[in-house]
Amino acid sequence: MRYYEILYIVNPNFERKKLDETMKEIDNRLTETKSKIINHIIWGKKKLAYPMQGHKYGTYILVHYQGGNKDKLDEFDSWLKLSDLVIRHMIVRIEKEPDVLEKVDNESSIKEKEDLKSDKDKISKEKNDEETEGVK
Amino acid sequence: MAFQTRRKYCFFKENNIIEIDYKDVKLLKRFINDNGKIMPRRVTGTSAKMHRKVVSAIKRARTIGLMPFIDNGSE
Repeated sequence: MRYYEILYIVNPNFERKKLDETMKEIDNRLTETKSKIINHIIWGKKKLAYPMQGHKYGTYILVHYQGGNKDKLDEFDSWLKLSDLVIRHMIVRIEKEPDVLEKVDNESSIKEKEDLKSDKDKISKEKNDEETEGVK
Repeated sequence: MAFQTRRKYCFFKENNIIEIDYKDVKLLKRFINDNGKIMPRRVTGTSAKMHRKVVSAIKRARTIGLMPFIDNGSE
């Protein structure tokens, strides 16, 4: 069996709920093709190297799967291309079996980053407050 | 008055890298110039085998928006 990797970009303004819905939709479509999904994780929000459909940023999502019915996979590919949910996607064949990446870790790392960011914000706010106080 | 030429070497051979992932933008950025063009083998010193892999990885990264087709500095 062959292994494939999809990297697709969704609207960066999607909320968590909408993101989950999108991922679920793609999960369903993929399982219809009798493919076995190995990974489906959010890779992160990144700045695009060039604007696509008016977007400067995009949320990258990574899928690893074991190929199923080829005709249905072709259909899935064209569905992804026509879908409004996805800005752009690319399906690539990989030679080796992909490692299983933990979903939970990914989410927690995102949360940690957010926490760090908020901490930084707090610190910067405090600094600003101090400065303004000094001015007063 | 001979030219002192810098010894060229294959980056991948030196670091024992066999597979190149198109998602590894940090690595691929070594092989493009300021304009985003792929640098020739005679400049980078990469072996022919690995250069072919680099080229296909950069082209993949371009289609998915990880690397620029042209980078002329304007946003």
